[in-house]
Amino acid sequence: MTFLTFLRGISLFRLKRSIVLGVKSLWMHKLRSLLTALGIVFGVASVIAMLAIGEGASFEAQQQIKELGSQNIILESVKPTNTTTAGEQERSLILEYGLTYQDITQIQATVPGVQVTVPSRRVKDFLWNVSQSVDGTAFGTVPWFPKMKNRDVVRGRFFTEIEMKDCSPVCVLTESLARNLFPLNEPIGQTVRMQTSYFRVVGLIEDDPVVAATESELEGSAESSEGMEMIIPITTLEDHFGEVLVKYRSGSFEAEKVEYHEVTARIDDADDVMPAALAIQHILERNHEDLDYKMTVPLDLLRRAERTKQIFNIVLGSIAAISLLVGGIGIMNIMLATVTERTREIGIRRALGAKRKDIVMQFLIETVILSGAGGLLGVGVGLAIPLAVTHFANMVTIIQFWAPTLAFTISVAIGVLFGIYPAFRAAGMNPVEALRHE
Amino acid sequence: MSDLSSDALVENELANTLGAEGCDYRKPVIELLEVEKHYQMGSVLVKALRGIDLKIFRGDYISILGPSGGGKSTMLNILGCLDQPTIGTYLLNGTDVSNLSDDALSLVRGKELGFIFQSYNLIQQLSVVENIEVPLFYQGISEKESRETAIELAIKVGLDKRLDHRPTELSGGQQQRVAIARALANDPAVILADEATGNLDSKSGGDILEIFDQLNSDGKTLVMITHDEGMAERTHRVIRLKDGGIAFDSRTEN
Repeated sequence: MTFLTFLRGISLFRLKRSIVLGVKSLWMHKLRSLLTALGIVFGVASVIAMLAIGEGASFEAQQQIKELGSQNIILESVKPTNTTTAGEQERSLILEYGLTYQDITQIQATVPGVQVTVPSRRVKDFLWNVSQSVDGTAFGTVPWFPKMKNRDVVRGRFFTEIEMKDCSPVCVLTESLARNLFPLNEPIGQTVRMQTSYFRVVGLIEDDPVVAATESELEGSAESSEGMEMIIPITTLEDHFGEVLVKYRSGSFEAEKVEYHEVTARIDDADDVMPAALAIQHILERNHEDLDYKMTVPLDLLRRAERTKQIFNIVLGSIAAISLLVGGIGIMNIMLATVTERTREIGIRRALGAKRKDIVMQFLIETVILSGAGGLLGVGVGLAIPLAVTHFANMVTIIQFWAPTLAFTISVAIGVLFGIYPAFRAAGMNPVEALRHE
Repeated sequence: MSDLSSDALVENELANTLGAEGCDYRKPVIELLEVEKHYQMGSVLVKALRGIDLKIFRGDYISILGPSGGGKSTMLNILGCLDQPTIGTYLLNGTDVSNLSDDALSLVRGKELGFIFQSYNLIQQLSVVENIEVPLFYQGISEKESRETAIELAIKVGLDKRLDHRPTELSGGQQQRVAIARALANDPAVILADEATGNLDSKSGGDILEIFDQLNSDGKTLVMITHDEGMAERTHRVIRLKDGGIAFDSRTEN
């Protein structure tokens, strides 16, 4: 008897009765049925939960990368850790490193597709509102900074090109700085002091999402100076604080000369991002002896994140496949035992007119009910786990609609696959011997 | 030709004389012709049945006796279509079943034969009514109809108060009655009982035998495998098997 002829013999009426019978037989051994299905329950639950957690994690990572702008290339100045020219610098007393005007002009002139660059410089010091102070940063940049960095101006306005040209003493505060510096009154129109310079507040901008994300993990870190930024035109910054930054911190003296702390270059076409990044890398390698810069390509990060996700999914898939396989073997094992245990029943049924295919169907349906119920239970548990993870671990989890469906389908398929052999073994018994079985 | 017509005459005569017992000699329900059953036991060929010729008529009430190893079980298996003869022909209700496929044989078993076993052989996870329904289910009878038939039969064997009980909740005698009701479900041509009272005390065994008597007087054909001479006395025909052959076949007068 082939499987196909068996399928042809199924009628809906018999199917219904066989399902009722299967449930009855499984119900007779509740504990055993539960334990048998447990393998599938855990397999299915872990598939759904792991998928949801993995999907959530990669979504979060991709979201952060996208905030950086997929068409951007971000260059940062990095203080070199061990410089080959350390001797010279000690003599000059001024540590000179990082991205230079020359780098940026060269990049703009030679790399095709570079549309806009956003240079920025930072000065770290106390920011004052009359007698209220916050440890923060003066952040010098260009008027198109909000657009390039995907950051919204929440109130007021950003500074203009004319203000940059005129080196106007205007500033835009990040929301968290505004909260700390002006806890009670309206910040727009007020004045902020840094060292001996005064700046008029013209607008508020939302916090850097990447900083905000790390901030929220270190809950209640009010003392952190991260994100406490006063954004002013880069020309104004130069005008007021000069090229050399001198720091007096805890008794030590430190002088640095950094022309740009950070430069973001926007590339016209997303396809040109990777070649442009390569070209920029070449220019920087030629201009810098030390590795005093860092290049971040969000698009590259995004692709890597996607690849990581792919690998993650493959690993996940294998684990899921193995756990479901183990569950399936467990079911088959129990079904084989059940068939032996019920040899007599098989004999009785054969004597009372059951065909081989009736016996096959009976046991196959029983196995599918077992694995299907396990799958259903697993879906329930699998949907609950991500909710718990989101609630207790504060992680983003994403349940895709196809994940529970797929997991359940697989559990049913496992029932069929691992039920076939025990079922055919039951049907192959000789009725005379089966009846004689004790 | 003349032989055949004289045979017919004899049978007619028999029918006229013995018809009072409710047995119709013109209609053989079972015909075994030169049936042999051989088993290969290691290197030895065992002939469990040899040259069996047997006619069982509608309304017959037969007991088959014999020493163990005499071929009783094999006879039951062959008659019950659970096994097929090695040589010979088996006509059940006029159909040759000696070479049927497994599926067709299953169908014949369910439709034409009713089994009653020594150890009742009820299905433990099913209730009384559901057990009676099993043969109906395999014949594809609709749910409603089979439920009605099953309840009717349960009442007939006196189990009207135990329809939803499980076999474990019943006494041996009650379980055997369920088995009888189940054997009657498809209104089979022949009811085969294998040591039906073997596991019962004499009281409940007697009750079961009374049901058998009643069934026979209602026109059912019964074949009982037994070693109980007392039981054999109640039947109208006794067949003794010895060494795989029929040693004795006689009608008794009640």
